[in-house]
Amino acid sequence: MPSLKDLKIRIDSVKSTRKITKAMQMVAAAKLRKAQESAERGRPYAEKMREIVSNLASSVKNIAVDNKFLRDGSNSQKFLLIVATAERGLCGGFNSSIVKLAKARIAELTSQNKEIKVLTIGKKGREQLNREFESLFIGHVDLSTEKNITIDTARKISTDIIARFERGEYEVAEIFYNKFESVISQIPTSHRLLPVSLNEKETDAENISFNFEPEEDEILTEIIPKSIATSIFSVLQENAASEQGSRMAAMDNATRNAGEMIDKLTIDFNRSRQAAITNELIEIISGAEAL
Amino acid sequence: MTKKFDLTIISAESKVFEGEVESVLVPGMIGDFLVLSDHAPCISSIRPGFLEYSEGISHKQRYFVSGGIIEVINNVVSILVDSAIAGDKNVKEDITALISEINDKLSNEDYTNKDDLGLRKNDLEEALKQT
Repeated sequence: MPSLKDLKIRIDSVKSTRKITKAMQMVAAAKLRKAQESAERGRPYAEKMREIVSNLASSVKNIAVDNKFLRDGSNSQKFLLIVATAERGLCGGFNSSIVKLAKARIAELTSQNKEIKVLTIGKKGREQLNREFESLFIGHVDLSTEKNITIDTARKISTDIIARFERGEYEVAEIFYNKFESVISQIPTSHRLLPVSLNEKETDAENISFNFEPEEDEILTEIIPKSIATSIFSVLQENAASEQGSRMAAMDNATRNAGEMIDKLTIDFNRSRQAAITNELIEIISGAEAL
Repeated sequence: MTKKFDLTIISAESKVFEGEVESVLVPGMIGDFLVLSDHAPCISSIRPGFLEYSEGISHKQRYFVSGGIIEVINNVVSILVDSAIAGDKNVKEDITALISEINDKLSNEDYTNKDDLGLRKNDLEEALKQT
């Protein structure tokens, strides 16, 4: 049975923990709003980019251009997995769920005897993958110095992965991240970055014949790196929003748990105090009776 | 009155402009070209330079763009730019910064796309003269 003093110390420490989690929850809520706003602002660009690429692709299909970014990659042997996680922990299952998905994919590809390389974005994912797959690492992107994600960061990453693609280090690139559904639900997702898949939704513009300046092939070589940078940018933005959402939910939970714990400890504290008083009273009364 | 068409200029981080305009002058990869209403559908990449749209005779707006892509379909013109700086601000410094960035890359021996960079540099120097 802990003494009254011990209980008091525990209650105080849980109370200060609750203050911290409450503060973290509010900070995450503010950051989430910001992250969502910037994701919102970036959306028209990303949508238009996808539209232009699919317009281009559907007109290229007719003239059968052999562009290195557009091959279907079905018989590829070398895979690059880009695992995008957060720089910080304390955000519930955010990081682990991405890592879990990536690990499953690594296992699947290993069983097919494919060559796998891993590029990590964000410290937490790297730490979790380090134990088993250190030999597969070919690079790491540190986001800890970036306060807000900018398109420049995404461009740097895409320049790097395109250079590796051109050097033949891999044939297919897949990216792993958390898709932001709502504050309480983030879905670990993966999609293929390279080669660009052609059979996306057909637009109404399919029947329009475009004039291209310069030729289709040249535009493709120019636009595909841009569209990859844009996809990476939106992945990073989704991830940032998911991270804050996940942290907010986790901290909300922690705050509630701390509250429950304080209630329980307070009841214990009151009971032991009452027990001590009763005890003393009994001692006095039985002492008086003995006289 | 000249017929108007819809123009949207979007950068990766925000929408730069959206509205009805009479014409837009675009620094295309092969050469500058002017888009008026009922322009044929086209997709073209943009080199670094000045983009100018006009909402009326007296309403002209100039932007310095560092590259991008334009799509024209059925009187809807969308321009995706890497970055856009309104022309009435002082853009000289920005252009000089871009040029020195390219110089750094050119002096780096690992860099493979030197021809492209050289062309970009020429475009930027051209743009600098126009300021």
